[in-house]
Amino acid sequence: MAKKQEQPSIEDRLRRLEEITRQLEMGDKPLADQLAMFEEGMKLAQECRDYLSAAEVRIEKISASASSQSNTSSESDES
Amino acid sequence: MSETAISVGQLTRRIQSVLEDEFQRGVFVEGEISNFKLHSSGHRYFTLKDDEAAIAAVMWKTRPLDFLPADGMRVQVFGRLTVYAPRGNYQIDVIKMRPAGLGDLQRILEERKRDLAAKGYFDWQRKKPLPPLPTRIGVVTSATGAALQDILRTVSSRFPAATIVLRAASVQGQGAAADVAQGIIDLQSANVQVIIVGRGGGSIEDLWAFNEMPVIEAIYRSGIPVISAVGHETDETLSDLVADVRAATPTHAAVLVTPYAVDDLLRGIESTCERMETTLRLTIDGFRDMAESFLDGRAARRLDERVKMRVQRVDDVQTRGERAITTTLHRLRDRIEHRMTVLRTLHPYRPLEQGYAVLESAGKIVAADRQLIVGESVTIRRRADITTATITATHNE
Repeated sequence: MAKKQEQPSIEDRLRRLEEITRQLEMGDKPLADQLAMFEEGMKLAQECRDYLSAAEVRIEKISASASSQSNTSSESDES
Repeated sequence: MSETAISVGQLTRRIQSVLEDEFQRGVFVEGEISNFKLHSSGHRYFTLKDDEAAIAAVMWKTRPLDFLPADGMRVQVFGRLTVYAPRGNYQIDVIKMRPAGLGDLQRILEERKRDLAAKGYFDWQRKKPLPPLPTRIGVVTSATGAALQDILRTVSSRFPAATIVLRAASVQGQGAAADVAQGIIDLQSANVQVIIVGRGGGSIEDLWAFNEMPVIEAIYRSGIPVISAVGHETDETLSDLVADVRAATPTHAAVLVTPYAVDDLLRGIESTCERMETTLRLTIDGFRDMAESFLDGRAARRLDERVKMRVQRVDDVQTRGERAITTTLHRLRDRIEHRMTVLRTLHPYRPLEQGYAVLESAGKIVAADRQLIVGESVTIRRRADITTATITATHNE
């Protein structure tokens, strides 16, 4: 249940960026809101740029867990 | 006893020539390996046997062999019959050898495939779609294999922002199936969005772990989409069939998990930013038009100030946006100022600045076509002073 409080994924951020752009293009919000959205959009764009500009793939190694110690695979007990 | 006795050497030579004549095209035999010995010289010695008989066999180290023989393994060999005179025995000089299980494995594979298909393991309806933009990619493969290198290279060149979560597993030989299966299970809790499981190409025996039930079950039960990338395009394993997506090769799998190259995404972001800027510019233009049609110059200026103050906040965050807006605002201000200038040009006092005077009467400018009356009191307004005068005479021209 306890989901980690993570920052939105790159996918979510790109989606939000697209949504902001669409809403701006509809142009039916008050100017103040539009400016705020613009501000958020530009910030998101910068975050995405920063994220995507990573130079190299990171490699994380996880070691083999003994099948007995791992209790995470409760569903494999079915058959 | 008219016959003369022959020597053992002669007999053996005759046996040798009979055997070699009889089997001069070589022999092709199937049997089980026993007593296998890999000599330090690199030559392999073993006995080939079945229920009825046994025959010695040797395979010199110069003969290529692409699997490791073991006692109990059924093999098919092709070779020549040779006689070893000093010991008086005959043996097969093995030129080629392959596992005889091929047919068996193929049969097991077909049976298992039918069985799993009937149980719905390969159903399309239960296949999970791949995530559109995975950033943590689980990989179960050999830490030393070509597959991992292919995946790393491909992901690095297409989407270096990703993290590869590697669960190294042995992919061949004893215990490989269990290790691969456990690897898939281990990755379930590694916060990855997709799992690639596979290895490079090989014989059906090499790839066999990917036909084993533990691996099939682990893929089948994975809560995370699994891409199977085993061997080459022509190698089909049961893992390929049960996986959510089958990749032709590990490289292909890496392409599938990086559907958007970073460069394309960055270009997309740039164009989105441009769209936002264009839109905001149009919006501000709209406000400017409103300002111009409804407000006088002073009010328009006030609006200008207000917009500018808000824009100031945006400026703090984003310079590109700022440029777009301030450009617009500058244009807005220029336009308003231009208008004011026009207004000033049209203003009646404008001529004073060029040295002219304006004639006023009773606080109003005297229009050029109004007749002045003798005795009327008028005011002469010049740039620097105001003089009161009385009309003493008029002359019509």
